[in-house]
Amino acid sequence: MNEILEKLTTCIEFGKINQKSPFPPSMRGEVGADELTKQALEAGIKPTIILENGLIPGMNAVGLKFSQGKVFVPEMLMAAKAMSTALVHLKPFFQSGEVKRKGTFIIGTVFGDLHDIGKNLVAMTVEGAGWEVIDLGVDVKSETFLDTLGKYPDSAVGISALLTTTMANMESVVRNVKEKYPSTKILIGGAPLNTEFCNKIGADFYSRDPQGAVAYLNNLQNC
Amino acid sequence: MKMDMTGWRDSIFTNPEKRAVPVMTYPGLQLAGKSVLDMVTKEEVQYECVKALSEKYPAVGAITLIMDLSVEAEAFGSPVNFSENEIPTVSKRLIDSFEQVVNLKIPAIGDGRTKIHLNAARLAAENITTRPTFGGIIGPYSLAGRLYDITEMMTAILIEPEGAHELLSICTSFLKGYALAFKNAGCNGVLIAEPAAGLLADYQCEEFSSQYVKQIVDFVQDDNFMVVLHNCGNTVSLVESMLKTGAAGFHFGNAVDMCEILPQVPSNRLVFGNLDPAGVIKNGTPEIIKAKTTELLTRTSQYNNFVISSGCDIPPGTTIQNIDAFFEAIAEYNKD
Repeated sequence: MNEILEKLTTCIEFGKINQKSPFPPSMRGEVGADELTKQALEAGIKPTIILENGLIPGMNAVGLKFSQGKVFVPEMLMAAKAMSTALVHLKPFFQSGEVKRKGTFIIGTVFGDLHDIGKNLVAMTVEGAGWEVIDLGVDVKSETFLDTLGKYPDSAVGISALLTTTMANMESVVRNVKEKYPSTKILIGGAPLNTEFCNKIGADFYSRDPQGAVAYLNNLQNC
Repeated sequence: MKMDMTGWRDSIFTNPEKRAVPVMTYPGLQLAGKSVLDMVTKEEVQYECVKALSEKYPAVGAITLIMDLSVEAEAFGSPVNFSENEIPTVSKRLIDSFEQVVNLKIPAIGDGRTKIHLNAARLAAENITTRPTFGGIIGPYSLAGRLYDITEMMTAILIEPEGAHELLSICTSFLKGYALAFKNAGCNGVLIAEPAAGLLADYQCEEFSSQYVKQIVDFVQDDNFMVVLHNCGNTVSLVESMLKTGAAGFHFGNAVDMCEILPQVPSNRLVFGNLDPAGVIKNGTPEIIKAKTTELLTRTSQYNNFVISSGCDIPPGTTIQNIDAFFEAIAEYNKD
Protein backbone atom coordinates (compact mmCIF):
# COMPACT_ATOMS: atom_id res chain seq x y z
CA MET A 1 0.00 0.00 0.00
CA ASN A 2 1.10 3.55 -0.70
CA GLU A 3 3.16 5.00 2.15
CA ILE A 4 1.31 8.32 2.17
CA LEU A 5 -2.03 6.55 2.48
CA GLU A 6 -0.73 4.36 5.28
CA LYS A 7 0.41 7.42 7.19
CA LEU A 8 -2.90 9.11 6.47
CA THR A 9 -4.79 6.17 7.93
CA THR A 10 -2.62 6.37 11.04
CA CYS A 11 -3.22 10.11 11.37
CA ILE A 12 -6.99 9.66 11.21
CA GLU A 13 -6.92 6.73 13.62
CA PHE A 14 -4.89 8.64 16.19
CA GLY A 15 -6.44 12.08 15.62
CA LYS A 16 -3.38 13.83 14.23
CA ILE A 17 -4.94 16.86 12.54
CA ASN A 18 -1.90 18.73 11.27
CA GLN A 19 1.76 19.37 12.03
CA LYS A 20 0.89 22.13 14.48
CA SER A 21 -1.41 19.98 16.57
CA PRO A 22 0.21 18.73 19.79
CA PHE A 23 -1.95 15.60 19.80
CA PRO A 24 -1.12 12.77 19.98
CA PRO A 25 2.07 13.47 21.95
CA SER A 26 3.83 10.53 20.27
CA MET A 27 3.40 12.25 16.87
CA ARG A 28 4.28 15.77 17.97
CA GLY A 29 5.99 17.71 15.19
CA GLU A 30 5.02 15.22 12.49
CA VAL A 31 2.76 16.11 9.59
CA GLY A 32 -0.90 15.27 10.00
CA ALA A 33 -4.01 14.47 7.98
CA ASP A 34 -4.08 17.99 6.59
CA GLU A 35 -0.61 17.92 5.02
CA LEU A 36 -0.74 14.25 4.01
CA THR A 37 -4.00 14.66 2.08
CA LYS A 38 -2.44 17.54 0.16
CA GLN A 39 0.68 15.42 -0.47
CA ALA A 40 -1.42 12.53 -1.70
CA LEU A 41 -3.26 14.73 -4.19
CA GLU A 42 0.01 16.28 -5.34
CA ALA A 43 1.44 12.79 -5.81
CA GLY A 44 -1.40 12.08 -8.22
CA ILE A 45 -3.31 9.65 -6.05
CA LYS A 46 -6.96 9.65 -7.09
CA PRO A 47 -9.25 11.33 -4.56
CA THR A 48 -11.46 8.23 -4.43
CA ILE A 49 -8.43 6.14 -3.47
CA ILE A 50 -7.44 8.69 -0.81
CA LEU A 51 -10.93 8.49 0.66
CA GLU A 52 -11.39 4.74 0.45
CA ASN A 53 -7.86 3.52 1.18
CA GLY A 54 -6.54 6.33 3.38
CA LEU A 55 -9.28 8.06 5.31
CA ILE A 56 -12.11 5.59 5.80
CA PRO A 57 -9.86 2.78 7.13
CA GLY A 58 -8.58 5.22 9.79
CA MET A 59 -12.10 6.06 10.92
CA ASN A 60 -13.05 2.39 10.88
CA ALA A 61 -10.07 1.56 13.08
CA VAL A 62 -10.80 4.23 15.68
CA GLY A 63 -14.51 3.42 15.55
CA LEU A 64 -13.78 -0.20 16.35
CA LYS A 65 -11.56 0.79 19.29
CA PHE A 66 -14.34 3.11 20.53
CA SER A 67 -16.88 0.28 20.39
CA GLN A 68 -14.47 -1.94 22.31
CA GLY A 69 -13.90 0.70 25.01
CA LYS A 70 -10.24 1.11 24.08
CA VAL A 71 -10.59 4.81 23.26
CA PHE A 72 -13.15 7.32 24.49
CA VAL A 73 -15.11 10.32 23.27
CA PRO A 74 -12.16 12.78 23.27
CA GLU A 75 -10.03 10.54 21.02
CA MET A 76 -12.99 9.77 18.78
CA LEU A 77 -13.65 13.49 18.35
CA MET A 78 -10.00 14.15 17.53
CA ALA A 79 -10.10 11.45 14.85
CA ALA A 80 -13.25 13.00 13.43
CA LYS A 81 -11.60 16.43 13.41
CA ALA A 82 -8.61 15.01 11.53
CA MET A 83 -11.02 13.42 9.06
CA SER A 84 -12.91 16.70 8.55
CA THR A 85 -9.63 18.52 7.92
CA ALA A 86 -8.67 15.98 5.28
CA LEU A 87 -12.09 16.13 3.64
CA VAL A 88 -11.71 19.87 3.05
CA HIS A 89 -9.10 19.03 0.41
CA LEU A 90 -11.41 16.51 -1.25
CA LYS A 91 -14.41 18.83 -1.32
CA PRO A 92 -13.83 20.07 -4.90
CA PHE A 93 -13.82 16.47 -6.10
CA PHE A 94 -17.07 15.73 -4.30
CA GLN A 95 -18.59 18.82 -5.90
CA SER A 96 -17.38 17.88 -9.38
CA GLY A 97 -18.72 14.36 -8.97
CA GLU A 98 -15.29 12.78 -9.36
CA VAL A 99 -15.61 11.26 -5.91
CA LYS A 100 -18.94 9.68 -5.02
CA ARG A 101 -20.27 9.69 -1.50
CA LYS A 102 -22.08 6.65 -0.21
CA GLY A 103 -25.21 8.74 0.25
CA THR A 104 -26.56 11.73 2.14
CA PHE A 105 -27.39 11.80 5.81
CA ILE A 106 -29.37 14.65 7.33
CA ILE A 107 -28.95 14.96 11.08
CA GLY A 108 -30.18 17.25 13.83
CA THR A 109 -31.09 17.41 17.50
CA VAL A 110 -34.85 17.46 17.87
CA PHE A 111 -36.67 20.71 18.58
CA GLY A 112 -36.65 21.79 22.21
CA ASP A 113 -33.27 20.16 22.79
CA LEU A 114 -29.97 22.04 22.63
CA HIS A 115 -27.59 19.17 23.37
CA ASP A 116 -25.25 18.31 20.57
CA ILE A 117 -22.31 16.15 21.63
CA GLY A 118 -23.96 12.88 20.63
CA LYS A 119 -25.27 14.39 17.42
CA ASN A 120 -21.82 15.82 16.60
CA LEU A 121 -20.13 12.51 17.25
CA VAL A 122 -22.53 10.66 14.97
CA ALA A 123 -22.32 13.36 12.27
CA MET A 124 -18.53 13.30 12.20
CA THR A 125 -18.32 9.51 12.29
CA VAL A 126 -20.84 9.08 9.49
CA GLU A 127 -19.02 11.69 7.42
CA GLY A 128 -15.80 9.85 8.11
CA ALA A 129 -17.41 6.68 6.79
CA GLY A 130 -17.84 8.30 3.39
CA TRP A 131 -21.31 9.86 3.62
CA GLU A 132 -22.25 13.42 2.89
CA VAL A 133 -23.60 14.82 6.13
CA ILE A 134 -25.94 17.77 6.37
CA ASP A 135 -25.88 18.86 9.98
CA LEU A 136 -28.92 20.95 10.83
CA GLY A 137 -27.66 21.72 14.33
CA VAL A 138 -29.81 21.71 17.46
CA ASP A 139 -33.45 22.56 18.18
CA VAL A 140 -34.50 21.36 14.71
CA LYS A 141 -38.20 21.40 13.84
CA SER A 142 -40.01 19.07 11.43
CA GLU A 143 -40.22 21.79 8.78
CA THR A 144 -36.43 22.07 8.62
CA PHE A 145 -36.02 18.31 8.19
CA LEU A 146 -38.74 18.38 5.49
CA ASP A 147 -37.24 21.38 3.67
CA THR A 148 -33.83 19.69 3.62
CA LEU A 149 -35.33 16.42 2.45
CA GLY A 150 -36.97 18.40 -0.34
CA LYS A 151 -33.49 19.30 -1.57
CA TYR A 152 -31.97 15.86 -0.88
CA PRO A 153 -34.91 13.46 -1.19
CA ASP A 154 -32.87 10.25 -1.17
CA SER A 155 -31.25 11.02 2.17
CA ALA A 156 -31.48 9.12 5.40
CA VAL A 157 -32.37 11.14 8.50
CA GLY A 158 -30.88 11.05 11.99
CA ILE A 159 -32.60 12.62 15.00
CA SER A 160 -30.96 13.03 18.39
CA ALA A 161 -32.33 13.85 21.84
CA LEU A 162 -30.74 13.85 25.27
CA LEU A 163 -33.67 14.80 27.44
CA THR A 164 -36.62 12.69 28.47
CA THR A 165 -38.78 15.73 27.89
CA THR A 166 -37.59 16.29 24.33
CA MET A 167 -37.42 12.67 23.20
CA ALA A 168 -41.21 12.85 22.97
CA ASN A 169 -40.83 15.54 20.29
CA MET A 170 -39.22 12.95 18.02
CA GLU A 171 -42.58 11.30 17.45
CA SER A 172 -44.07 14.25 15.54
CA VAL A 173 -40.89 14.70 13.49
CA VAL A 174 -40.89 11.03 12.52
CA ARG A 175 -44.60 11.17 11.67
CA ASN A 176 -44.22 14.31 9.54
CA VAL A 177 -41.22 12.95 7.67
CA LYS A 178 -42.85 9.58 7.03
CA GLU A 179 -46.07 11.25 5.82
CA LYS A 180 -44.26 13.16 3.12
CA TYR A 181 -41.35 10.79 2.47
CA PRO A 182 -42.56 7.30 3.46
CA SER A 183 -39.47 5.53 2.17
CA THR A 184 -37.00 7.74 4.05
CA LYS A 185 -35.10 5.80 6.69
CA ILE A 186 -34.98 7.49 10.09
CA LEU A 187 -32.36 6.71 12.73
CA ILE A 188 -32.68 7.95 16.27
CA GLY A 189 -30.19 8.15 19.10
CA GLY A 190 -29.64 9.64 22.54
CA ALA A 191 -29.09 8.62 26.13
CA PRO A 192 -32.72 8.05 27.21
CA LEU A 193 -33.78 6.17 24.04
CA ASN A 194 -34.01 2.50 23.23
CA THR A 195 -35.26 0.19 20.49
CA GLU A 196 -38.67 -0.09 22.10
CA PHE A 197 -39.13 3.69 21.92
CA CYS A 198 -37.86 3.66 18.34
CA ASN A 199 -40.49 1.12 17.36
CA LYS A 200 -43.19 2.99 19.24
CA ILE A 201 -42.65 6.26 17.36
CA GLY A 202 -42.23 4.59 13.97
CA ALA A 203 -38.53 5.30 13.40
CA ASP A 204 -36.51 2.69 11.56
CA PHE A 205 -33.43 2.22 13.71
CA TYR A 206 -32.13 3.05 17.18
CA SER A 207 -28.38 3.29 17.40
CA ARG A 208 -26.67 3.30 20.76
CA ASP A 209 -23.36 4.50 19.29
CA PRO A 210 -21.98 6.12 16.12
CA GLN A 211 -20.67 2.83 14.75
CA GLY A 212 -24.17 1.39 14.90
CA ALA A 213 -25.42 4.27 12.77
CA VAL A 214 -22.61 3.76 10.23
CA ALA A 215 -23.26 0.03 10.01
CA TYR A 216 -26.99 0.60 9.48
CA LEU A 217 -26.41 3.26 6.81
CA ASN A 218 -23.81 1.20 4.98
CA ASN A 219 -26.21 -1.71 5.00
CA LEU A 220 -28.92 0.48 3.45
CA GLN A 221 -26.54 1.32 0.68
CA ASN A 222 -26.06 -2.37 -0.04
CA CYS A 223 -29.81 -3.12 -0.11
CA MET B 1 -30.99 20.85 60.60
CA LYS B 2 -27.68 19.41 61.71
CA MET B 3 -27.61 15.63 61.50
CA ASP B 4 -25.02 12.96 62.21
CA MET B 5 -24.45 11.79 58.65
CA THR B 6 -21.86 9.22 59.67
CA GLY B 7 -24.51 7.73 61.91
CA TRP B 8 -27.05 7.92 59.06
CA ARG B 9 -24.63 6.09 56.81
CA ASP B 10 -23.90 3.46 59.47
CA SER B 11 -27.61 2.89 59.98
CA ILE B 12 -27.84 1.92 56.32
CA PHE B 13 -25.02 -0.59 56.76
CA THR B 14 -26.65 -2.24 59.76
CA ASN B 15 -30.35 -2.06 58.95
CA PRO B 16 -31.44 -5.15 57.01
CA GLU B 17 -34.26 -3.17 55.41
CA LYS B 18 -33.28 -1.57 52.13
CA ARG B 19 -33.38 2.22 52.05
CA ALA B 20 -34.59 4.13 48.97
CA VAL B 21 -33.27 7.51 47.89
CA PRO B 22 -34.64 8.29 44.43
CA VAL B 23 -33.47 11.56 42.94
CA MET B 24 -36.86 13.17 42.64
CA THR B 25 -38.29 16.63 42.74
CA TYR B 26 -40.22 16.83 39.45
CA PRO B 27 -42.88 14.24 40.39
CA GLY B 28 -43.84 16.69 43.16
CA LEU B 29 -45.10 19.07 40.48
CA GLN B 30 -48.21 16.94 40.04
CA LEU B 31 -48.86 16.93 43.76
CA ALA B 32 -48.43 20.71 43.92
CA GLY B 33 -50.11 21.48 40.57
CA LYS B 34 -47.14 23.49 39.28
CA SER B 35 -44.96 23.60 36.16
CA VAL B 36 -41.25 22.95 35.66
CA LEU B 37 -40.79 26.67 35.06
CA ASP B 38 -42.37 27.38 38.46
CA MET B 39 -40.01 24.93 40.11
CA VAL B 40 -36.81 26.28 38.62
CA THR B 41 -37.69 29.92 39.23
CA LYS B 42 -39.54 29.91 42.57
CA GLU B 43 -37.99 28.63 45.76
CA GLU B 44 -41.33 28.08 47.49
CA VAL B 45 -42.54 25.84 44.64
CA GLN B 46 -39.43 23.68 44.78
CA TYR B 47 -39.83 23.40 48.55
CA GLU B 48 -43.56 22.68 48.24
CA CYS B 49 -42.81 19.84 45.81
CA VAL B 50 -40.17 18.10 47.92
CA LYS B 51 -42.29 18.61 51.03
CA ALA B 52 -45.28 17.00 49.29
CA LEU B 53 -43.15 14.08 48.16
CA SER B 54 -41.64 13.60 51.61
CA GLU B 55 -45.11 13.46 53.15
CA LYS B 56 -46.51 11.11 50.51
CA TYR B 57 -43.51 8.79 50.68
CA PRO B 58 -42.33 8.31 54.27
CA ALA B 59 -40.01 5.58 52.98
CA VAL B 60 -37.83 8.12 51.16
CA GLY B 61 -34.49 7.84 52.89
CA ALA B 62 -33.33 11.37 52.09
CA ILE B 63 -34.68 14.48 50.42
CA THR B 64 -32.97 15.46 47.20
CA LEU B 65 -33.36 18.95 45.84
CA ILE B 66 -33.48 19.82 42.17
CA MET B 67 -30.76 18.66 39.79
CA ASP B 68 -30.70 21.81 37.62
CA LEU B 69 -27.51 21.65 35.60
CA SER B 70 -27.93 25.10 34.06
CA VAL B 71 -28.01 27.23 37.18
CA GLU B 72 -24.27 27.42 37.81
CA ALA B 73 -23.39 28.31 34.20
CA GLU B 74 -26.17 30.88 34.24
CA ALA B 75 -24.59 32.47 37.32
CA PHE B 76 -21.37 32.83 35.28
CA GLY B 77 -23.39 34.60 32.59
CA SER B 78 -24.33 31.81 30.16
CA PRO B 79 -27.64 32.28 28.36
CA VAL B 80 -30.26 29.72 29.37
CA ASN B 81 -33.43 28.61 27.58
CA PHE B 82 -36.53 28.25 29.72
CA SER B 83 -39.88 26.74 28.86
CA GLU B 84 -42.98 25.85 30.82
CA ASN B 85 -42.44 22.11 31.05
CA GLU B 86 -38.86 21.45 30.11
CA ILE B 87 -35.73 21.55 32.21
CA PRO B 88 -33.71 24.73 31.52
CA THR B 89 -30.73 24.31 29.21
CA VAL B 90 -27.63 26.40 28.51
CA SER B 91 -28.15 27.63 24.95
CA LYS B 92 -24.74 29.00 24.01
CA ARG B 93 -21.14 28.74 25.12
CA LEU B 94 -19.92 31.64 27.21
CA ILE B 95 -16.27 31.56 26.11
CA ASP B 96 -14.78 30.33 22.85
CA SER B 97 -11.11 30.36 23.77
CA PHE B 98 -9.17 29.67 26.93
CA GLU B 99 -7.63 33.14 26.64
CA GLN B 100 -11.01 34.43 27.76
CA VAL B 101 -10.83 32.47 31.00
CA VAL B 102 -8.92 35.31 32.69
CA ASN B 103 -11.92 37.55 32.07
CA LEU B 104 -14.34 35.15 33.72
CA LYS B 105 -15.68 36.53 36.95
CA ILE B 106 -16.40 33.93 39.60
CA PRO B 107 -20.04 34.54 40.51
CA ALA B 108 -21.01 35.49 44.04
CA ILE B 109 -22.99 32.86 45.88
CA GLY B 110 -26.60 33.82 45.35
CA ASP B 111 -26.08 35.22 41.85
CA GLY B 112 -28.67 34.33 39.26
CA ARG B 113 -30.96 31.53 40.33
CA THR B 114 -28.47 30.02 42.79
CA LYS B 115 -30.25 31.98 45.51
CA ILE B 116 -33.55 30.32 44.56
CA HIS B 117 -32.08 26.84 44.97
CA LEU B 118 -30.32 27.80 48.18
CA ASN B 119 -33.48 29.26 49.66
CA ALA B 120 -35.43 26.15 48.65
CA ALA B 121 -32.74 24.08 50.37
CA ARG B 122 -33.00 26.21 53.50
CA LEU B 123 -36.78 25.77 53.62
CA ALA B 124 -36.48 22.01 53.11
CA ALA B 125 -33.74 21.58 55.71
CA GLU B 126 -35.65 23.64 58.29
CA ASN B 127 -38.99 21.96 57.79
CA ILE B 128 -38.30 18.36 56.81
CA THR B 129 -36.36 17.18 59.82
CA THR B 130 -37.03 13.46 59.79
CA ARG B 131 -34.56 12.75 56.99
CA PRO B 132 -31.39 14.30 55.59
CA THR B 133 -31.68 16.92 52.86
CA PHE B 134 -29.25 16.90 49.95
CA GLY B 135 -28.62 19.93 47.79
CA GLY B 136 -27.65 19.51 44.16
CA ILE B 137 -24.75 21.01 42.22
CA ILE B 138 -23.04 20.32 38.92
CA GLY B 139 -19.54 18.83 38.79
CA PRO B 140 -16.50 20.86 37.66
CA TYR B 141 -15.92 19.14 34.32
CA SER B 142 -19.60 19.28 33.39
CA LEU B 143 -19.73 22.98 34.30
CA ALA B 144 -16.61 23.67 32.24
CA GLY B 145 -18.34 21.90 29.35
CA ARG B 146 -21.32 24.21 29.64
CA LEU B 147 -19.14 27.31 29.66
CA TYR B 148 -16.76 26.24 26.88
CA ASP B 149 -19.03 23.84 24.91
CA ILE B 150 -18.94 20.21 25.82
CA THR B 151 -17.67 18.95 22.44
CA GLU B 152 -14.82 21.46 22.56
CA MET B 153 -14.06 20.62 26.19
CA MET B 154 -13.72 16.96 25.21
CA THR B 155 -10.94 17.68 22.73
CA ALA B 156 -9.45 20.52 24.78
CA ILE B 157 -8.21 18.05 27.38
CA LEU B 158 -6.04 16.53 24.64
CA ILE B 159 -4.84 19.60 22.75
CA GLU B 160 -5.02 22.41 25.32
CA PRO B 161 -4.82 20.72 28.71
CA GLU B 162 -3.36 23.77 30.45
CA GLY B 163 -6.30 25.92 29.37
CA ALA B 164 -8.72 23.19 30.41
CA HIS B 165 -7.13 23.06 33.88
CA GLU B 166 -7.33 26.83 34.19
CA LEU B 167 -11.06 26.79 33.46
CA LEU B 168 -11.60 23.82 35.76
CA SER B 169 -9.87 25.66 38.61
CA ILE B 170 -12.26 28.57 38.23
CA CYS B 171 -15.27 26.28 38.07
CA THR B 172 -14.06 24.47 41.18
CA SER B 173 -13.54 27.70 43.11
CA PHE B 174 -17.16 28.61 42.50
CA LEU B 175 -18.49 25.13 43.22
CA LYS B 176 -16.65 24.92 46.54
CA GLY B 177 -18.44 28.05 47.66
CA TYR B 178 -21.78 26.89 46.27
CA ALA B 179 -21.50 23.52 48.04
CA LEU B 180 -20.59 25.33 51.26
CA ALA B 181 -23.64 27.54 50.84
CA PHE B 182 -25.86 24.42 50.82
CA LYS B 183 -24.14 23.32 54.01
CA ASN B 184 -24.72 26.72 55.58
CA ALA B 185 -28.35 26.59 54.45
CA GLY B 186 -28.78 23.55 56.69
CA CYS B 187 -28.47 20.75 54.15
CA ASN B 188 -26.92 17.49 55.31
CA GLY B 189 -25.14 16.80 52.09
CA VAL B 190 -24.80 17.60 48.46
CA LEU B 191 -25.16 15.52 45.31
CA ILE B 192 -22.53 16.48 42.74
CA ALA B 193 -23.70 15.64 39.21
CA GLU B 194 -20.74 15.06 36.92
CA PRO B 195 -22.26 13.37 33.85
CA ALA B 196 -19.76 14.67 31.28
CA ALA B 197 -16.91 12.87 33.05
CA GLY B 198 -18.65 9.62 32.18
CA LEU B 199 -17.46 10.08 28.59
CA LEU B 200 -13.78 10.07 29.56
CA ALA B 201 -11.17 7.36 30.03
CA ASP B 202 -10.26 6.58 33.64
CA TYR B 203 -6.99 8.55 33.61
CA GLN B 204 -8.72 11.50 31.94
CA CYS B 205 -11.52 11.37 34.50
CA GLU B 206 -8.96 11.42 37.29
CA GLU B 207 -7.02 14.37 35.87
CA PHE B 208 -9.90 16.52 34.64
CA SER B 209 -12.70 15.65 37.02
CA SER B 210 -11.88 13.64 40.14
CA GLN B 211 -9.01 15.80 41.40
CA TYR B 212 -11.32 18.83 41.23
CA VAL B 213 -14.26 17.02 42.81
CA LYS B 214 -11.87 16.03 45.60
CA GLN B 215 -11.21 19.70 46.31
CA ILE B 216 -14.93 20.24 46.85
CA VAL B 217 -15.19 17.11 49.01
CA ASP B 218 -12.21 18.17 51.14
CA PHE B 219 -13.72 21.63 51.53
CA VAL B 220 -17.19 20.66 52.78
CA GLN B 221 -17.45 17.02 53.80
CA ASP B 222 -17.44 16.12 57.51
CA ASP B 223 -19.46 13.99 59.93
CA ASN B 224 -22.46 16.24 59.46
CA PHE B 225 -22.25 16.84 55.74
CA MET B 226 -21.95 14.11 53.12
CA VAL B 227 -20.90 14.41 49.50
CA VAL B 228 -22.39 11.99 46.99
CA LEU B 229 -20.83 11.95 43.54
CA HIS B 230 -23.20 11.18 40.66
CA ASN B 231 -21.98 10.02 37.28
CA CYS B 232 -24.49 8.56 34.85
CA GLY B 233 -22.03 7.52 32.14
CA ASN B 234 -20.54 4.12 31.51
CA THR B 235 -18.55 4.21 34.72
CA VAL B 236 -17.48 0.60 35.19
CA SER B 237 -13.87 1.54 34.50
CA LEU B 238 -14.13 4.89 36.32
CA VAL B 239 -14.97 3.64 39.80
CA GLU B 240 -11.37 3.74 41.02
CA SER B 241 -11.03 7.31 39.84
CA MET B 242 -14.34 8.28 41.46
CA LEU B 243 -13.27 6.70 44.76
CA LYS B 244 -10.21 8.94 44.84
CA THR B 245 -12.47 11.97 45.31
CA GLY B 246 -13.04 10.84 48.88
CA ALA B 247 -16.80 11.26 48.60
CA ALA B 248 -18.76 9.27 51.15
CA GLY B 249 -21.25 8.09 48.57
CA PHE B 250 -21.44 7.36 44.85
CA HIS B 251 -24.50 7.51 42.67
CA PHE B 252 -24.59 5.62 39.38
CA GLY B 253 -26.75 5.92 36.28
CA ASN B 254 -28.50 3.14 34.45
CA ALA B 255 -25.75 2.77 31.85
CA VAL B 256 -24.02 0.33 34.19
CA ASP B 257 -24.84 -2.97 35.84
CA MET B 258 -24.67 -2.37 39.60
CA CYS B 259 -23.23 -5.85 40.03
CA GLU B 260 -20.16 -4.68 38.13
CA ILE B 261 -19.90 -1.55 40.30
CA LEU B 262 -20.57 -2.77 43.83
CA PRO B 263 -17.61 -5.17 44.10
CA GLN B 264 -15.31 -2.25 43.27
CA VAL B 265 -16.53 0.00 46.09
CA PRO B 266 -15.32 -0.49 49.69
CA SER B 267 -18.08 -1.53 52.04
CA ASN B 268 -17.73 1.67 54.09
CA ARG B 269 -18.88 3.87 51.20
CA LEU B 270 -22.50 4.20 50.13
CA VAL B 271 -23.53 3.20 46.61
CA PHE B 272 -26.75 4.52 45.09
CA GLY B 273 -28.37 3.36 41.85
CA ASN B 274 -29.76 2.87 39.26
CA LEU B 275 -33.24 2.17 37.88
CA ASP B 276 -33.66 3.69 34.43
CA PRO B 277 -35.44 6.98 35.18
CA ALA B 278 -36.86 7.41 31.67
CA GLY B 279 -37.32 3.95 30.18
CA VAL B 280 -38.55 2.32 33.39
CA ILE B 281 -39.73 4.86 35.95
CA LYS B 282 -41.29 7.39 33.56
CA ASN B 283 -42.31 5.27 30.59
CA GLY B 284 -42.77 1.87 32.22
CA THR B 285 -45.99 0.45 33.58
CA PRO B 286 -46.38 -0.01 37.35
CA GLU B 287 -45.92 -3.76 36.79
CA ILE B 288 -42.63 -3.23 34.97
CA ILE B 289 -41.40 -0.81 37.62
CA LYS B 290 -42.20 -3.25 40.41
CA ALA B 291 -40.48 -6.10 38.59
CA LYS B 292 -37.36 -4.05 37.82
CA THR B 293 -37.15 -2.68 41.36
CA THR B 294 -37.46 -6.13 42.91
CA GLU B 295 -34.94 -7.53 40.46
CA LEU B 296 -32.37 -4.86 41.32
CA LEU B 297 -32.87 -5.31 45.07
CA THR B 298 -32.53 -9.06 44.74
CA ARG B 299 -29.39 -8.91 42.62
CA THR B 300 -27.72 -6.49 45.05
CA SER B 301 -28.97 -8.06 48.27
CA GLN B 302 -25.52 -9.06 49.53
CA TYR B 303 -24.31 -5.45 49.61
CA ASN B 304 -25.22 -3.63 52.84
CA ASN B 305 -23.91 -0.34 51.44
CA PHE B 306 -26.36 -0.33 48.54
CA VAL B 307 -29.21 2.18 48.47
CA ILE B 308 -31.76 1.81 45.71
CA SER B 309 -32.32 4.93 43.63
CA SER B 310 -33.18 6.20 40.20
CA GLY B 311 -30.24 6.31 37.80
CA CYS B 312 -30.69 10.06 37.46
CA ASP B 313 -33.27 12.73 38.18
CA ILE B 314 -36.77 11.30 37.71
CA PRO B 315 -38.09 13.29 34.74
CA PRO B 316 -41.02 15.68 34.68
CA GLY B 317 -44.20 13.95 33.55
CA THR B 318 -43.57 10.77 35.57
CA THR B 319 -46.89 9.69 37.04
CA ILE B 320 -47.47 9.33 40.74
CA GLN B 321 -48.74 5.79 40.07
CA ASN B 322 -45.28 4.88 38.81
CA ILE B 323 -43.57 6.36 41.87
CA ASP B 324 -46.07 4.47 44.02
CA ALA B 325 -45.10 1.25 42.25
CA PHE B 326 -41.40 1.86 43.02
CA PHE B 327 -42.09 2.26 46.74
CA GLU B 328 -44.58 -0.62 46.84
CA ALA B 329 -41.94 -2.95 45.44
CA ILE B 330 -39.43 -1.84 48.07
CA ALA B 331 -41.97 -2.29 50.87
CA GLU B 332 -42.81 -5.78 49.62
CA TYR B 333 -39.13 -6.68 49.33
CA ASN B 334 -38.42 -5.46 52.87
CA LYS B 335 -41.46 -7.36 54.21
CA ASP B 336 -40.13 -10.60 52.77
